[in-house]
Amino acid sequence: MMLSWEFPPRVIGGISPHVNFLSKSLAKQGVKVYVVTCDFPDAPSHEVIEGVEVYRIDSYKNPAPDFATWVYLMNLNMQKETAALTRKIGDKIDLLHCHDWLVANAGIGLKHVFRKPLLVTMHSTEIGRRDGLHTDTEKMIHETEAWLTYEAWKVICCSDYMISHVKWAFGLPNDKLAMVPNGVNTKNYDIDDDLKDFRSKFALPEEKIVLYVGRLVYEKGIHVLINAVPKILEKVNAKFIIVGSGYMKEQLLNIVRSMGLEHKVLFEGFMDEKTLLKLQKCADVSVVPSLFEPFGIVALEAMAAKSPVVASDTGGLSEIIEHDVTGVKVYPNNPDSLAWGINKVLLDDTYRQRLRENAYKKVLEKYDWEKIAQQTKRIYESVLGEYSKSFWA
Amino acid sequence: MRIIIFTWEYPPRVIGKLSEYVKALSDQLASNHVEVNVVTYDDSVTGSAKEPTGVQTVRVSNPVRTHIGVLTWVLTLNQEVERAAANLYYEAKNQIDLIDVYDWHFIPAAVTLKNGLGIPFVYSVESLEDHRSRGITTPYTMAIRSIEWLGFYEAQKVSAKSEWMRDEIIRIYKVPKEKISVISTEPSSWIKEILKLYSAVGGGLNSK
Repeated sequence: MMLSWEFPPRVIGGISPHVNFLSKSLAKQGVKVYVVTCDFPDAPSHEVIEGVEVYRIDSYKNPAPDFATWVYLMNLNMQKETAALTRKIGDKIDLLHCHDWLVANAGIGLKHVFRKPLLVTMHSTEIGRRDGLHTDTEKMIHETEAWLTYEAWKVICCSDYMISHVKWAFGLPNDKLAMVPNGVNTKNYDIDDDLKDFRSKFALPEEKIVLYVGRLVYEKGIHVLINAVPKILEKVNAKFIIVGSGYMKEQLLNIVRSMGLEHKVLFEGFMDEKTLLKLQKCADVSVVPSLFEPFGIVALEAMAAKSPVVASDTGGLSEIIEHDVTGVKVYPNNPDSLAWGINKVLLDDTYRQRLRENAYKKVLEKYDWEKIAQQTKRIYESVLGEYSKSFWA
Repeated sequence: MRIIIFTWEYPPRVIGKLSEYVKALSDQLASNHVEVNVVTYDDSVTGSAKEPTGVQTVRVSNPVRTHIGVLTWVLTLNQEVERAAANLYYEAKNQIDLIDVYDWHFIPAAVTLKNGLGIPFVYSVESLEDHRSRGITTPYTMAIRSIEWLGFYEAQKVSAKSEWMRDEIIRIYKVPKEKISVISTEPSSWIKEILKLYSAVGGGLNSK
């Protein structure tokens, strides 16, 4: 029984594609997977997708006092409906797998109600996202994360960096942690369409496309890219396409306006998956300027789309990208370094081609969903082995 | 008969009149051969204890210390209430006849236990958000009212202490009249009426 606050078509961050591919790949490995997630306009409340039973719950749509309180209210519904579902299918659930604090309450409650082992994948942490804990909301979320990892039988993280970060943040013992990388589905990017017309909707033929995909929030470092724009334009004629939205949007728009570069920087907002795939294939460079990045799925997606990657040397990105081989790494929070990296890629056609090929090969070798599902299944089996000897069994 | 009472105040924690009321009720029930378990909140006295009257209490504390409001505090505490109640359920070999929930705080736990384990619950109303807040005008009070509404919807029976309260519940939440029992605290009939209500609900989720 997998709990996640997002599942396609509801896509807010990286958890949605992760749960999507993980659940389907687990189903192919013979695991019966139920996913309980928040509802989305026009998406059915129950459907079976490639062997995965997806249930979408009423996610509390009254106005909520604030985001964190909404999360707890949504968990009340999620817990209630998952409890009813578990009872309906009749004691067949072996374990619960939660993704992030957003479903902590539901996962922990259900663990005790049904006495089943709870696993959690920590995709990120509040203390990492905010670079410290400054407000009561941030402290509350941090403590909720600590509680969730305490209640979990195993804590899965997507990179070695996240393992050590989570260990530090919540004081967890080594034997409670397991590393399973995030994956990417290369088949999604096998599009044969002629992209010339598509490309011309975004950029002139002589303009290079610099693509940013991600929420417009501080931790993602989008402001670093915006600050690097003039430095890049000094050397290369480029169009900057920003996909995603977030609380920094207005502020970023103002900076672009004040630089007089509105014609060079396009804010596209939220984009549907198909359009985004094509755009990633068109991009001459994909930029991941994060300040904090537990894994960096956007970098992996760009690599699968054969778009060269420039990323900041931090967190999971440091592990995914090998400098000068599968991408370019730059100093985090440094617009000069970022501009240097982007220009290096844009100015050298053969270099760009080499990065593309190496990166694609790496993705096939290491970040294949089938292998990731096998690793996850082995963790499930070992937890169930330990559980079977406990007095709950 | 084996029951669990959920209440957010129970001595030594006294916030309003509810605390003393639930204490008197649970003692009376125990002397009437009902096995009473009280699950409540207390930060300083945690864990389970047996009282001289035979009432078993389990006091839980909040696993998350920092909160931004009563709502997040309550919604997080509910998981501990569930844990305590589930432990009682499994210790009793799945034989819990019903849960009696006082006011809205632990409605989420009661609803999950009903849906997950099939334990019916009675929602005992002490006060309503509409009266406490003089009208529902903010997202905050709307959320509390929606939890109360969920309680009325999912409960097997509702108990109110006066006919006025019953009529208010009908007016605000459109609860069918047959679902609400008015049980006055008149000493001669009080426990008898409560026991009658419990035996009606204790038959399980399909009982009338």
